[in-house]
Amino acid sequence: MAPFVHLHVASAYSLRYGTAFPPALVARAAAQGMDALALTDRDGLYGAIKHIRACHAEGLAPIAGVDLVLGPRSEHEGRHGRHESRQGGNEGLPGMDERRIVVLARADGWAHLCRLVTAAHHVGERGEPYVTREMLAEHARGPSGDARLTVLLGPRSDLGHAAAGHRDEEARALLAAWRAAVPDVVVEVTDHYGYRDANTAARMLGLADSVGVPAVLTNAVRHLDTSDHQVGNVLDAARRLAPLHVRHLEPSTQAYLKSGEEMGSVAARVCGGDRSRMARLLEETRHVAERCVLDAVEIVPLLSDPPGALHLPEIGGDPVPMLRDRCDDGLRRRGMERSKEARERLAAELDIIERKRLSGYFVAVAGITDMIRAMGVRCAIRGSGAGSLVNYLAGIGEVNPLEHGLLMERFLSEGRHGLPDIDVDVESARRLDCYRAILGRYGEARVACVSMMETYRARSAIRDVGSAMGLPPHEIDAIAKAFPHIRAKQIRAALADLPELRDSGLNDRSLETVFRLAEKLDGLPRHIALHPCGVLVGNAALRDRTPVERSLLDFPMSQFDKDDVEEAGLLKLDVLGVRMQSAMAHALDEIERVDGVRIALDAVPRDDVDTYDMICSGRTIGCFQIESPGQRELVAKLEPRTMHDLIVDISLFRPGPVNSDMVTPYLEARHGFRRPSYPHEDLRESLRETHGVVVFHEQVLKVIDVMTGCGLSEAEKARRALDTPQGRGAVRDWFVPLAEERGFGPATVEKAWKILDAFGAFGFCKAHAAAFALPTYQSAWLKRHHAAAFFAGVLTHEPGMYPSRVILDEARRCGVDILALDVNHSGRDWRVEKTGGEPAGPPPEEPYGEAAATGESTGESTEELTGESLTLRVRPGDLGPRRQDVDLGGGVDSGVDGGPDRETGGFGRGYGLRVPFSAVRGASEAEVARMVAGQPYTSMADFWERARPSRPVAERIVEVGGLDAMYGLHPGGPRWRPGRLTRRDLIAQVGALDRSSAAGVAAGRDATAVQLPMGFTERVTPGELPEMTEAEVVEAELAVLGMDVSRHVIGFHDELLDAIGVVRSKDLLRQRNGAEILVAGVKVATQTPAVRSGQRVIFLTLDDSTGPIDLTFFESVQAHTAATVFGSWLLVARGVVRRTGARAVSLRALHCWNLVDLDELWRAPAPHGGIDAVRARLEERPEPGGGVGGRSIEYDNGYRLSPYSDIGPTPGVRDAAAFLAHPAEPQRRVWHASSGSSGPTRTRTR
Amino acid sequence: MGGRSVLSRLYGDPIEVWIRDDRPAQFVWRDRLYAIRQVQDHWVVAREWWKTSDTDPGERRFWRVEAGANTGVGTYELRFDTASGGWLLLRAWD
Repeated sequence: MAPFVHLHVASAYSLRYGTAFPPALVARAAAQGMDALALTDRDGLYGAIKHIRACHAEGLAPIAGVDLVLGPRSEHEGRHGRHESRQGGNEGLPGMDERRIVVLARADGWAHLCRLVTAAHHVGERGEPYVTREMLAEHARGPSGDARLTVLLGPRSDLGHAAAGHRDEEARALLAAWRAAVPDVVVEVTDHYGYRDANTAARMLGLADSVGVPAVLTNAVRHLDTSDHQVGNVLDAARRLAPLHVRHLEPSTQAYLKSGEEMGSVAARVCGGDRSRMARLLEETRHVAERCVLDAVEIVPLLSDPPGALHLPEIGGDPVPMLRDRCDDGLRRRGMERSKEARERLAAELDIIERKRLSGYFVAVAGITDMIRAMGVRCAIRGSGAGSLVNYLAGIGEVNPLEHGLLMERFLSEGRHGLPDIDVDVESARRLDCYRAILGRYGEARVACVSMMETYRARSAIRDVGSAMGLPPHEIDAIAKAFPHIRAKQIRAALADLPELRDSGLNDRSLETVFRLAEKLDGLPRHIALHPCGVLVGNAALRDRTPVERSLLDFPMSQFDKDDVEEAGLLKLDVLGVRMQSAMAHALDEIERVDGVRIALDAVPRDDVDTYDMICSGRTIGCFQIESPGQRELVAKLEPRTMHDLIVDISLFRPGPVNSDMVTPYLEARHGFRRPSYPHEDLRESLRETHGVVVFHEQVLKVIDVMTGCGLSEAEKARRALDTPQGRGAVRDWFVPLAEERGFGPATVEKAWKILDAFGAFGFCKAHAAAFALPTYQSAWLKRHHAAAFFAGVLTHEPGMYPSRVILDEARRCGVDILALDVNHSGRDWRVEKTGGEPAGPPPEEPYGEAAATGESTGESTEELTGESLTLRVRPGDLGPRRQDVDLGGGVDSGVDGGPDRETGGFGRGYGLRVPFSAVRGASEAEVARMVAGQPYTSMADFWERARPSRPVAERIVEVGGLDAMYGLHPGGPRWRPGRLTRRDLIAQVGALDRSSAAGVAAGRDATAVQLPMGFTERVTPGELPEMTEAEVVEAELAVLGMDVSRHVIGFHDELLDAIGVVRSKDLLRQRNGAEILVAGVKVATQTPAVRSGQRVIFLTLDDSTGPIDLTFFESVQAHTAATVFGSWLLVARGVVRRTGARAVSLRALHCWNLVDLDELWRAPAPHGGIDAVRARLEERPEPGGGVGGRSIEYDNGYRLSPYSDIGPTPGVRDAAAFLAHPAEPQRRVWHASSGSSGPTRTRTR
Repeated sequence: MGGRSVLSRLYGDPIEVWIRDDRPAQFVWRDRLYAIRQVQDHWVVAREWWKTSDTDPGERRFWRVEAGANTGVGTYELRFDTASGGWLLLRAWD
């Protein structure tokens, strides 16, 4: 007998319902000897492409369908709810009473299935799709009335519910209605061995027989194995937001992918032992399966090689000449007509593009980038697309691949599987505008955004399991937050491994079950979200190829993720919102507004000495890609002087190169400490640009090509294979004989192979780096020449890793004045004001900004806008192999005015940054708009009446000095000032105003028309309340604005820090290597990146108002420091000085303390407190040991990685994702943290 | 089920059961042998694992059977607990 086929199977892509991934289900079916398998996920085709691919790989016939709610949801709940309540009483919870049907695509019904799913999402609320019988009637037929969809009416359908309720007449009528509406209806019987399951199945079977409708047997599969049912229970509870209780659960111990034999037993039960009925049931099941088998390659064209039909956009004409014309125009426009190299390269690229029939894609993308730029949106090409000359000539990107030796093969080549991916970066704040414009041009029918599945990780899994287990919400929150951002399956390992969790009390046995179950949720999809950048641009048939639902922001969104989309032969364009592009756009607008100059940033020369001087000195906070502590150290060592240097720098700063130790040989050769070595003279050409070290993918291709003569396309194929150990083995077997055949000696071949083996998989695509290097340079140039405007952009759009207060501090150090919030001068966003070199705003007793900026060397540069007070050792001409000749040319720099090289500051003088209304915590967009529109204001009451802020917002504005200028307030100094108005008086007045407006409302008047007592101010007695102290001012600023505006918060501890002899950042360079010192500061960032040793290493950056201090905590000290590092904000640390370069110093940390604790100790009375007690505390020397556990992940070439390393996406990508999650609200954070744990009992200081 | 439960009596006595072809064939209850003539219903209920500390507390398999002893024929509900491996006679309509 032919094998059984499962026709009703939910995978993990049935969100919070299924537990198995399509490939696992397919593999199990194959192992059970089945020859076909359906996937019928709930609510969509999210897993369909993966299922079809898996079936194709295992040699199974794919069947696809969907399990949909029969709706509208509210209707049947009202109508049938009463019946239900008598029997089970479950109707109170969402989903317990829903009716569901399964719809399968028949062999030619894929397009109909897609359109039905799209319609189901269109008609329902977002996330609550449903179908009606009428909708099925509309979608189930082809043009000639033939059946394209098969409807399965199972125990959960309206029919099934009627049968279970013994309402036979109703069931018969429903079945008749279904048959009238849809050409292909079958009855689906299922038996999960639940109470009366078999009984209901038998009734349904009898009904089908009496009407002459075929019946099929399914197992309504949710799981791979019966043991997965516990996870299923948790998902049931999580989906319904209910605690675990039998009432809320769907028993699913039997809902696993049963074998044919097991299904035979089920059939026997359902048929009551009637052997011939049993045989007929299985036969009919088989029949339905056979007519629903899909053509895998038709749906997933990339399964065949060459791929099947692609689905390119229509562009109104023959795309081939259109693209050729565009490129020819480009040659002229870019002045490359005469270049033989350019013409040859263009011909070769067009040849491949045309053979792959992709011209239309390039024409469409060029049209889109033209449109984006015409909207005035900054737009830059990113990624491997920068390597294509066609992209440069067609105007898609601004990077000339010939100038940087970029290859097209990384982007598009003969042998490359898959479709080319053009990525463009646009201003993050305008990204959705770009989407709308694309939708407007091509129409909703042809365009859809790409989706992505968010999956369970440790924190989300703990939250869902915790609430299913009935833990109190605040406890769940505390437990979840105690964990770093790790995978759910690492939870219990992390508890054992991480010192800050080990002693936390989370190891309690009562939580054991929570953690065990949370681990089981690992990686399961939990909801679908808009992919941060992918846009599908298809043709009129797009919705025959992919189901589309609406995203949270109401964009049409494909149910396929980026991989599925490509496999389905749909072309996508990545339009990524990059905050730095928005920040730079903001800066350019501010420059124009304040100085009346419009700067063409793309035209700025890329060899500005001042800009590179600033980069070399490590003053890169705020700049794109090079601001992290590690990058500041690297740029200071590498000393970039050209765009090419920046490209190398960006490529080197990745886990791979850092771990494979490519950095040291490169730096040694660059600075001439070591002669570059080449495995063979023939490779010199390819490797010279990086002094013999392989840094770029492009070089890997060239090395393979030179050694084997295989051509770059083939080399690219080989490079891709280098990613896996098996791949490396295969490439070696191919590479070595070929190279020897070409006459290279065995030793040379071995050397070349070693390079490929070690660096092949880790190199960076140079085109990527070149695309990144441009905004990196541009941001640095803006910082150096228009510092205030640059910081206004960075503070407004928050592009980088640092919180606002760090950026503000850096602005201060650059000589920019920080201007307090002022109701008459602040705007919606950060604005620049000319201050003419004078510190403006804050009262004269606040000389802070100036002193911090320049230390002792303020004197001569104060008046200069771009004060040239630089004393750098390295000049552009000094680079290259003769570098050692000028090394230690320390005599050149004067070094008299302290801080020999680092004081490049002062270039921001003459301008100020005004704190905006939007920085005030809790201020809504509407409030901010009213506050700006109503300017100027004459009094508190005037502001209250016309700007109409909420009371808490108004109070916060007063608290941080928003009305100081209007009333001439000067906090600090004596607290009691009889007769003089104070901030506290004004806060009291806000309350009075609020009460009088409320009284007005109570009197029956519209709030806006309330008559305010205009002379109100006279009634407040000035000086009745005490003024705020300086400390209170800063505390209010941190609470309200998230940053210390008036002075640096560390300043309050100066006395203590001086008493214990803390070394300040600006003096670090004068410390000798190996010295053991104390440092202190505000936590700026913690990072736990991948490092070479495979340890978890914590990098901590502190800021003490004179500059950043970078500390490294190795595992040996983490037992006594990790909790403090993650749990405190103000820290004192003891460390050993490590000079890592001419201008680079970092500390190897030994111990650290919470400064607030030390301060308390210091203030406590002796003998328990006082300075001696503090000193004694600082002398503690805990035993090293008890570090981080966990096996490091070891790669073949010796590269080891701690399981707790932060190996997330590049910052740009992460920003885009964060932006999507909170489109309107900038995250308020006071420090940056990655992958660390904040500890279970985090106490926020202040 | 409402009508029948009124007439049934609850017991919960441990019993000994013989299995044939994956289903109960006969059992001994209160020293009397019952031969099972027909299985009327069979269902399975998973244990509420979240209330116990066991990783897998197993499931309970219920059989409602028509069985006869030398005294006559009745309907009996038997329960098998997979965790303990024991059978109970839960109720009887006789």
